[in-house]
Amino acid sequence: MNNKEKYKGIFIKSLSIDEKKFSENLKYNEIAEWDSIGHMTLMSGLEEGFSISMETDDIVDFSSYKKGIDILKKYKVF
Amino acid sequence: MPIASSLLNKPKLVNKLRKFYDYVQKNDGKVGTKTRGIDLNFNNACNLRCKYCFTNSPKGDHVKEYLDLGAIKKLADEADELGYFEFDLQGGELLLQPDKLFSVLEAIKPERFYLYLTTNGFYLDEKMAKKLAEYKVSRVSVSIDSMDEKIHDEIRGRKESWRRAIEGLKHVKNAGMDPYLNITVGHYNANTEHFKQLLDYSKNENYKTLLNVAVPSGMWQKMTDIICDDKDREYLRKIRKEYKNLVRNIWNPFDRNHEKILGCTTVNRLYVTPIGDVLVCPYVHIKIGNIFESSLKEIVDYGFSIKYFRNHSDLCLAGEDKEFIKNFMTKSGQTIFKPALAKDIFSKEDFVK
Repeated sequence: MNNKEKYKGIFIKSLSIDEKKFSENLKYNEIAEWDSIGHMTLMSGLEEGFSISMETDDIVDFSSYKKGIDILKKYKVF
Repeated sequence: MPIASSLLNKPKLVNKLRKFYDYVQKNDGKVGTKTRGIDLNFNNACNLRCKYCFTNSPKGDHVKEYLDLGAIKKLADEADELGYFEFDLQGGELLLQPDKLFSVLEAIKPERFYLYLTTNGFYLDEKMAKKLAEYKVSRVSVSIDSMDEKIHDEIRGRKESWRRAIEGLKHVKNAGMDPYLNITVGHYNANTEHFKQLLDYSKNENYKTLLNVAVPSGMWQKMTDIICDDKDREYLRKIRKEYKNLVRNIWNPFDRNHEKILGCTTVNRLYVTPIGDVLVCPYVHIKIGNIFESSLKEIVDYGFSIKYFRNHSDLCLAGEDKEFIKNFMTKSGQTIFKPALAKDIFSKEDFVK
Protein backbone atom coordinates (compact mmCIF):
# COMPACT_ATOMS: atom_id res chain seq x y z
CA MET A 1 0.00 0.00 0.00
CA ASN A 2 1.44 3.39 -0.93
CA ASN A 3 1.08 6.48 1.26
CA LYS A 4 -1.77 7.93 -0.80
CA GLU A 5 -3.83 4.79 -0.20
CA LYS A 6 -2.82 4.77 3.43
CA TYR A 7 -3.85 8.43 3.74
CA LYS A 8 -7.27 7.69 2.29
CA GLY A 9 -7.65 4.66 4.57
CA ILE A 10 -6.87 6.75 7.65
CA PHE A 11 -9.54 9.27 6.60
CA ILE A 12 -12.17 6.59 6.22
CA LYS A 13 -11.29 4.82 9.46
CA SER A 14 -10.77 7.95 11.59
CA LEU A 15 -13.96 9.65 10.51
CA SER A 16 -15.92 6.39 10.51
CA ILE A 17 -17.33 7.04 7.06
CA ASP A 18 -18.47 4.57 4.42
CA GLU A 19 -16.09 4.21 1.51
CA LYS A 20 -18.98 5.28 -0.74
CA LYS A 21 -19.20 8.59 1.11
CA PHE A 22 -15.50 9.28 0.61
CA SER A 23 -14.41 11.87 -1.92
CA GLU A 24 -11.14 13.72 -2.51
CA ASN A 25 -13.20 16.90 -2.18
CA LEU A 26 -13.95 16.28 1.50
CA LYS A 27 -13.76 19.44 3.62
CA TYR A 28 -13.85 20.04 7.35
CA ASN A 29 -17.39 20.41 8.71
CA GLU A 30 -19.03 19.56 5.40
CA ILE A 31 -19.95 16.11 6.66
CA ALA A 32 -21.17 15.40 10.19
CA GLU A 33 -18.34 12.96 10.83
CA TRP A 34 -15.65 15.60 10.27
CA ASP A 35 -16.52 17.84 13.21
CA SER A 36 -14.25 19.04 16.01
CA ILE A 37 -13.80 15.67 17.69
CA GLY A 38 -13.59 13.94 14.31
CA HIS A 39 -10.82 16.36 13.37
CA MET A 40 -8.71 15.51 16.40
CA THR A 41 -9.31 11.79 15.84
CA LEU A 42 -8.20 12.22 12.24
CA MET A 43 -5.08 14.15 13.25
CA SER A 44 -4.14 11.48 15.78
CA GLY A 45 -4.79 8.77 13.18
CA LEU A 46 -2.41 10.51 10.77
CA GLU A 47 0.22 11.00 13.47
CA GLU A 48 0.08 7.34 14.44
CA GLY A 49 -0.19 6.06 10.89
CA PHE A 50 2.76 8.03 9.56
CA SER A 51 4.78 8.27 12.82
CA ILE A 52 4.84 12.05 12.76
CA SER A 53 4.00 14.82 15.22
CA MET A 54 2.12 17.71 13.67
CA GLU A 55 2.43 21.34 14.72
CA THR A 56 -0.69 23.12 15.99
CA ASP A 57 -0.64 25.55 13.05
CA ASP A 58 -0.81 22.61 10.66
CA ILE A 59 -3.69 21.03 12.58
CA VAL A 60 -5.55 24.33 12.31
CA ASP A 61 -4.77 24.67 8.60
CA PHE A 62 -5.85 21.12 7.81
CA SER A 63 -9.21 22.14 6.34
CA SER A 64 -9.68 19.59 3.54
CA TYR A 65 -8.46 16.28 2.18
CA LYS A 66 -6.48 18.06 -0.53
CA LYS A 67 -5.02 20.65 1.83
CA GLY A 68 -3.92 17.78 4.05
CA ILE A 69 -1.78 16.38 1.25
CA ASP A 70 0.07 19.71 0.97
CA ILE A 71 0.58 19.85 4.73
CA LEU A 72 1.85 16.28 4.93
CA LYS A 73 4.50 17.03 2.32
CA LYS A 74 6.19 19.07 5.04
CA TYR A 75 6.44 15.86 7.07
CA LYS A 76 7.76 13.96 4.05
CA VAL A 77 4.68 11.72 3.88
CA PHE A 78 4.25 12.67 0.21
CA MET B 1 -16.40 28.28 5.54
CA PRO B 2 -14.50 29.49 7.37
CA ILE B 3 -17.01 29.82 10.18
CA ALA B 4 -16.02 31.75 13.29
CA SER B 5 -17.26 28.94 15.53
CA SER B 6 -15.12 26.31 13.80
CA LEU B 7 -12.36 24.50 15.63
CA LEU B 8 -10.01 25.59 12.87
CA ASN B 9 -10.47 29.21 13.98
CA LYS B 10 -9.61 28.38 17.58
CA PRO B 11 -5.89 27.52 17.82
CA LYS B 12 -5.87 27.79 21.60
CA LEU B 13 -8.63 25.21 21.75
CA VAL B 14 -6.71 22.93 19.39
CA ASN B 15 -3.73 23.08 21.76
CA LYS B 16 -5.82 22.18 24.79
CA LEU B 17 -7.67 19.43 22.95
CA ARG B 18 -4.36 18.00 21.84
CA LYS B 19 -3.01 17.99 25.39
CA PHE B 20 -6.19 16.25 26.52
CA TYR B 21 -5.79 13.68 23.76
CA ASP B 22 -2.13 13.05 24.66
CA TYR B 23 -3.01 12.63 28.33
CA VAL B 24 -5.79 10.15 27.57
CA GLN B 25 -3.57 8.15 25.21
CA LYS B 26 -0.82 7.88 27.82
CA ASN B 27 -3.40 6.95 30.45
CA ASP B 28 -4.64 3.85 28.64
CA GLY B 29 -7.59 5.69 27.09
CA LYS B 30 -8.91 6.86 30.46
CA VAL B 31 -9.71 10.40 31.59
CA GLY B 32 -7.92 10.10 34.96
CA THR B 33 -7.71 13.50 36.61
CA LYS B 34 -7.44 15.54 33.42
CA THR B 35 -9.56 18.67 33.33
CA ARG B 36 -12.16 18.60 30.59
CA GLY B 37 -15.19 20.88 30.87
CA ILE B 38 -17.27 23.36 32.80
CA ASP B 39 -21.05 23.01 32.79
CA LEU B 40 -22.40 26.42 33.70
CA ASN B 41 -25.95 27.18 34.77
CA PHE B 42 -25.86 30.96 35.26
CA ASN B 43 -29.64 31.22 35.67
CA ASN B 44 -32.26 28.55 36.25
CA ALA B 45 -35.35 30.15 34.65
CA CYS B 46 -37.05 28.11 31.91
CA ASN B 47 -40.03 28.39 29.59
CA LEU B 48 -40.84 24.67 29.70
CA ARG B 49 -41.98 22.34 32.49
CA CYS B 50 -40.15 19.11 31.73
CA LYS B 51 -41.13 16.16 33.88
CA TYR B 52 -37.58 15.00 34.51
CA CYS B 53 -35.76 18.32 34.98
CA PHE B 54 -32.68 17.76 37.14
CA THR B 55 -32.45 21.43 38.20
CA ASN B 56 -36.02 21.68 39.56
CA SER B 57 -36.60 24.64 37.29
CA PRO B 58 -40.34 23.80 36.87
CA LYS B 59 -40.68 24.27 40.62
CA GLY B 60 -39.24 27.77 40.26
CA ASP B 61 -36.13 26.89 42.23
CA HIS B 62 -33.82 29.96 42.41
CA VAL B 63 -34.99 31.23 39.01
CA LYS B 64 -34.31 34.88 39.86
CA GLU B 65 -30.65 34.50 40.71
CA TYR B 66 -27.90 35.17 38.19
CA LEU B 67 -24.23 34.42 38.44
CA ASP B 68 -22.55 37.77 37.91
CA LEU B 69 -20.48 38.47 34.83
CA GLY B 70 -17.30 39.24 36.78
CA ALA B 71 -17.46 35.84 38.45
CA ILE B 72 -18.09 34.14 35.10
CA LYS B 73 -15.12 35.91 33.52
CA LYS B 74 -12.86 34.86 36.41
CA LEU B 75 -14.16 31.30 36.23
CA ALA B 76 -13.48 31.11 32.47
CA ASP B 77 -9.97 32.55 32.88
CA GLU B 78 -9.13 30.04 35.59
CA ALA B 79 -10.67 27.19 33.60
CA ASP B 80 -8.60 28.14 30.57
CA GLU B 81 -5.42 28.22 32.70
CA LEU B 82 -6.20 24.74 34.04
CA GLY B 83 -6.63 23.33 30.54
CA TYR B 84 -10.42 23.02 30.48
CA PHE B 85 -11.38 22.98 26.83
CA GLU B 86 -15.16 22.56 26.93
CA PHE B 87 -17.67 25.07 28.22
CA ASP B 88 -21.26 23.89 28.25
CA LEU B 89 -23.85 26.55 28.95
CA GLN B 90 -27.12 25.20 30.20
CA GLY B 91 -30.06 26.29 32.29
CA GLY B 92 -32.86 26.79 32.78
CA GLU B 93 -33.33 27.87 29.21
CA LEU B 94 -30.56 30.04 27.82
CA LEU B 95 -32.43 31.46 24.84
CA LEU B 96 -35.18 32.84 27.05
CA GLN B 97 -32.91 35.80 27.83
CA PRO B 98 -30.68 36.29 24.78
CA ASP B 99 -29.15 39.59 25.92
CA LYS B 100 -27.94 37.98 29.12
CA LEU B 101 -26.65 34.99 27.18
CA PHE B 102 -24.60 37.12 24.80
CA SER B 103 -23.10 39.08 27.71
CA VAL B 104 -22.08 35.76 29.27
CA LEU B 105 -20.54 34.62 25.99
CA GLU B 106 -18.49 37.83 25.82
CA ALA B 107 -17.28 37.24 29.38
CA ILE B 108 -16.23 33.65 28.64
CA LYS B 109 -14.45 34.46 25.35
CA PRO B 110 -15.55 31.42 23.32
CA GLU B 111 -12.53 31.59 21.02
CA ARG B 112 -10.57 29.62 23.61
CA PHE B 113 -13.14 26.88 24.27
CA TYR B 114 -15.27 24.30 22.50
CA LEU B 115 -18.27 26.24 23.70
CA TYR B 116 -21.72 24.81 23.41
CA LEU B 117 -25.26 25.41 24.52
CA THR B 118 -27.77 22.89 25.72
CA THR B 119 -31.23 24.17 24.92
CA ASN B 120 -34.81 23.00 24.49
CA GLY B 121 -34.76 24.76 21.11
CA PHE B 122 -38.03 26.62 21.56
CA TYR B 123 -36.50 29.99 20.65
CA LEU B 124 -33.86 28.67 18.28
CA ASP B 125 -34.81 30.34 15.01
CA GLU B 126 -32.58 31.03 12.01
CA LYS B 127 -31.56 34.50 13.20
CA MET B 128 -30.60 33.20 16.63
CA ALA B 129 -28.56 30.33 15.17
CA LYS B 130 -26.62 32.71 12.94
CA LYS B 131 -25.90 35.04 15.85
CA LEU B 132 -24.70 32.16 18.02
CA ALA B 133 -22.29 31.11 15.26
CA GLU B 134 -21.03 34.70 15.02
CA TYR B 135 -20.37 34.57 18.75
CA LYS B 136 -18.15 31.53 18.14
CA VAL B 137 -20.47 28.95 19.67
CA SER B 138 -19.16 25.62 18.34
CA ARG B 139 -22.10 23.36 19.03
CA VAL B 140 -25.74 23.49 20.02
CA SER B 141 -27.37 20.50 21.70
CA VAL B 142 -31.14 20.24 21.52
CA SER B 143 -33.01 17.73 23.64
CA ILE B 144 -35.66 15.61 21.93
CA ASP B 145 -37.71 13.06 23.87
CA SER B 146 -39.64 11.39 21.07
CA MET B 147 -40.28 11.50 17.35
CA ASP B 148 -43.94 11.60 18.29
CA GLU B 149 -44.71 15.31 18.61
CA LYS B 150 -47.49 14.75 21.14
CA ILE B 151 -45.33 12.68 23.47
CA HIS B 152 -42.48 15.20 23.39
CA ASP B 153 -44.83 18.13 24.00
CA GLU B 154 -46.50 16.35 26.88
CA ILE B 155 -43.18 15.60 28.58
CA ARG B 156 -42.08 19.20 28.00
CA GLY B 157 -45.36 20.69 29.18
CA ARG B 158 -45.88 22.96 26.17
CA LYS B 159 -47.32 22.61 22.68
CA GLU B 160 -45.06 23.40 19.71
CA SER B 161 -41.98 22.33 21.70
CA TRP B 162 -41.18 19.41 19.40
CA ARG B 163 -41.69 21.25 16.13
CA ARG B 164 -39.59 24.21 17.21
CA ALA B 165 -36.82 21.99 18.58
CA ILE B 166 -36.64 19.98 15.36
CA GLU B 167 -36.55 23.19 13.30
CA GLY B 168 -33.93 24.60 15.65
CA LEU B 169 -31.52 21.75 14.95
CA LYS B 170 -31.78 22.43 11.22
CA HIS B 171 -30.89 26.08 11.83
CA VAL B 172 -27.85 25.00 13.87
CA LYS B 173 -26.60 22.85 11.00
CA ASN B 174 -27.22 25.56 8.41
CA ALA B 175 -25.37 28.11 10.54
CA GLY B 176 -22.26 25.87 10.49
CA MET B 177 -22.22 24.80 14.13
CA ASP B 178 -22.18 21.17 15.30
CA PRO B 179 -25.80 19.98 15.71
CA TYR B 180 -26.30 17.53 18.57
CA LEU B 181 -29.58 15.79 19.25
CA ASN B 182 -29.71 14.95 22.97
CA ILE B 183 -31.61 11.87 24.08
CA THR B 184 -32.16 10.67 27.62
CA VAL B 185 -31.98 6.90 27.76
CA GLY B 186 -33.14 4.81 30.69
CA HIS B 187 -34.48 1.37 31.45
CA TYR B 188 -37.92 2.57 30.31
CA ASN B 189 -36.93 3.29 26.70
CA ALA B 190 -33.63 1.54 25.88
CA ASN B 191 -33.97 -0.98 23.07
CA THR B 192 -37.44 0.24 22.06
CA GLU B 193 -38.71 1.24 18.65
CA HIS B 194 -39.48 4.63 20.12
CA PHE B 195 -35.81 5.17 21.02
CA LYS B 196 -34.59 3.77 17.71
CA GLN B 197 -36.69 6.28 15.79
CA LEU B 198 -34.77 9.09 17.50
CA LEU B 199 -31.42 7.47 16.73
CA ASP B 200 -32.35 6.96 13.08
CA TYR B 201 -33.63 10.49 12.66
CA SER B 202 -30.43 11.99 14.06
CA LYS B 203 -28.23 9.79 11.90
CA ASN B 204 -30.23 10.49 8.75
CA GLU B 205 -30.00 14.23 9.36
CA ASN B 206 -26.21 13.92 9.83
CA TYR B 207 -26.34 15.10 13.44
CA LYS B 208 -24.40 13.78 16.39
CA THR B 209 -26.49 12.09 19.08
CA LEU B 210 -25.61 12.74 22.69
CA LEU B 211 -26.92 10.01 24.97
CA ASN B 212 -27.52 11.02 28.57
CA VAL B 213 -28.44 8.12 30.79
CA ALA B 214 -31.50 8.75 32.95
CA VAL B 215 -30.41 9.84 36.40
CA PRO B 216 -32.43 9.60 39.62
CA SER B 217 -31.88 13.20 40.66
CA GLY B 218 -33.82 16.46 40.56
CA MET B 219 -37.50 15.77 39.75
CA TRP B 220 -36.64 12.07 39.31
CA GLN B 221 -34.85 11.63 42.62
CA LYS B 222 -35.53 8.19 44.13
CA MET B 223 -36.96 6.84 40.83
CA THR B 224 -34.43 4.03 40.69
CA ASP B 225 -36.48 2.00 38.20
CA ILE B 226 -35.32 4.34 35.42
CA ILE B 227 -31.67 3.23 35.80
CA CYS B 228 -30.15 1.30 32.89
CA ASP B 229 -29.37 -2.32 33.74
CA ASP B 230 -26.70 -4.63 32.28
CA LYS B 231 -28.86 -5.56 29.30
CA ASP B 232 -29.51 -1.91 28.52
CA ARG B 233 -25.78 -1.21 28.71
CA GLU B 234 -25.08 -4.10 26.37
CA TYR B 235 -27.57 -2.58 23.94
CA LEU B 236 -25.86 0.82 24.19
CA ARG B 237 -22.50 -0.79 23.44
CA LYS B 238 -24.02 -2.46 20.40
CA ILE B 239 -25.57 0.68 18.95
CA ARG B 240 -22.38 2.65 19.61
CA LYS B 241 -20.65 0.50 17.01
CA GLU B 242 -23.65 0.38 14.71
CA TYR B 243 -24.51 4.07 14.49
CA LYS B 244 -21.05 5.67 14.89
CA ASN B 245 -22.55 9.15 15.46
CA LEU B 246 -23.32 8.46 19.11
CA VAL B 247 -21.60 10.30 21.93
CA ARG B 248 -21.61 9.62 25.65
CA ASN B 249 -19.42 11.63 27.99
CA ILE B 250 -18.20 8.38 29.51
CA TRP B 251 -17.03 7.01 26.15
CA ASN B 252 -13.63 7.74 24.67
CA PRO B 253 -14.44 10.10 21.78
CA PHE B 254 -11.14 9.42 20.02
CA ASP B 255 -11.55 5.66 19.79
CA ARG B 256 -11.90 4.79 16.14
CA ASN B 257 -13.31 1.38 17.02
CA HIS B 258 -16.08 2.87 19.15
CA GLU B 259 -15.34 0.62 22.12
CA LYS B 260 -13.16 2.31 24.73
CA ILE B 261 -14.45 3.84 27.94
CA LEU B 262 -13.00 7.18 29.03
CA GLY B 263 -14.54 6.83 32.48
CA CYS B 264 -16.98 8.79 34.58
CA THR B 265 -16.06 12.46 34.32
CA THR B 266 -17.11 13.73 37.73
CA VAL B 267 -14.81 16.68 38.62
CA ASN B 268 -13.24 16.42 35.14
CA ARG B 269 -16.46 18.17 34.13
CA LEU B 270 -17.64 20.46 36.89
CA TYR B 271 -21.08 21.96 37.31
CA VAL B 272 -21.38 25.57 38.49
CA THR B 273 -24.74 26.84 39.74
CA PRO B 274 -26.20 30.38 39.64
CA ILE B 275 -25.06 30.94 43.24
CA GLY B 276 -21.48 29.88 42.47
CA ASP B 277 -21.61 26.45 44.05
CA VAL B 278 -19.43 23.88 42.37
CA LEU B 279 -20.87 20.35 42.12
CA VAL B 280 -18.93 17.35 40.87
CA CYS B 281 -21.21 17.03 37.83
CA PRO B 282 -24.67 18.28 36.83
CA TYR B 283 -26.36 15.15 38.16
CA VAL B 284 -24.42 14.35 41.33
CA HIS B 285 -25.56 17.04 43.72
CA ILE B 286 -22.54 17.05 45.96
CA LYS B 287 -20.80 20.37 46.57
CA ILE B 288 -17.02 20.59 46.58
CA GLY B 289 -16.66 24.37 46.78
CA ASN B 290 -17.89 27.80 45.74
CA ILE B 291 -16.21 30.03 43.20
CA PHE B 292 -16.65 33.10 45.45
CA GLU B 293 -14.72 31.40 48.24
CA SER B 294 -11.94 29.39 46.57
CA SER B 295 -9.94 29.30 43.38
CA LEU B 296 -10.97 26.79 40.74
CA LYS B 297 -7.70 24.93 41.23
CA GLU B 298 -8.34 24.53 44.97
CA ILE B 299 -11.82 23.22 44.24
CA VAL B 300 -10.59 20.76 41.59
CA ASP B 301 -7.80 19.48 43.86
CA TYR B 302 -10.29 18.98 46.66
CA GLY B 303 -12.70 17.17 44.33
CA PHE B 304 -10.01 14.79 43.14
CA SER B 305 -8.97 14.08 46.74
CA ILE B 306 -12.22 12.08 47.04
CA LYS B 307 -11.63 8.51 45.89
CA TYR B 308 -14.94 8.12 44.06
CA PHE B 309 -14.05 10.98 41.74
CA ARG B 310 -10.33 10.33 41.49
CA ASN B 311 -10.54 6.63 40.69
CA HIS B 312 -11.61 5.37 37.31
CA SER B 313 -15.18 4.16 36.95
CA ASP B 314 -16.54 2.40 33.87
CA LEU B 315 -20.01 3.37 35.03
CA CYS B 316 -21.60 6.79 35.20
CA LEU B 317 -21.74 7.27 38.97
CA ALA B 318 -24.98 9.28 38.79
CA GLY B 319 -26.88 7.11 36.34
CA GLU B 320 -25.46 3.59 36.54
CA ASP B 321 -23.64 2.94 39.81
CA LYS B 322 -26.47 1.81 42.07
CA GLU B 323 -24.27 1.60 45.16
CA PHE B 324 -23.03 5.18 44.70
CA ILE B 325 -26.58 6.40 44.04
CA LYS B 326 -27.92 4.68 47.16
CA ASN B 327 -25.16 5.99 49.39
CA PHE B 328 -24.73 9.53 48.13
CA MET B 329 -27.64 10.70 45.99
CA THR B 330 -30.77 9.89 47.94
CA LYS B 331 -30.54 12.46 50.76
CA SER B 332 -33.97 14.01 51.14
CA GLY B 333 -34.17 17.45 49.49
CA GLN B 334 -30.78 17.09 47.78
CA THR B 335 -30.86 19.45 44.76
CA ILE B 336 -28.45 21.63 42.83
CA PHE B 337 -29.30 24.44 45.25
CA LYS B 338 -29.26 22.26 48.37
CA PRO B 339 -26.43 19.90 47.55
CA ALA B 340 -24.91 17.51 50.04
CA LEU B 341 -21.56 18.80 51.24
CA ALA B 342 -18.62 16.58 50.37
CA LYS B 343 -17.09 17.13 53.82
CA ASP B 344 -20.27 15.80 55.47
CA ILE B 345 -21.32 13.02 53.16
CA PHE B 346 -17.94 11.31 52.81
CA SER B 347 -15.99 9.66 55.60
CA LYS B 348 -12.27 10.06 56.30
CA GLU B 349 -11.56 6.83 54.42
CA ASP B 350 -13.17 8.24 51.29
CA PHE B 351 -10.42 10.84 50.94
CA VAL B 352 -7.12 10.03 49.25
CA LYS B 353 -4.10 10.95 51.34
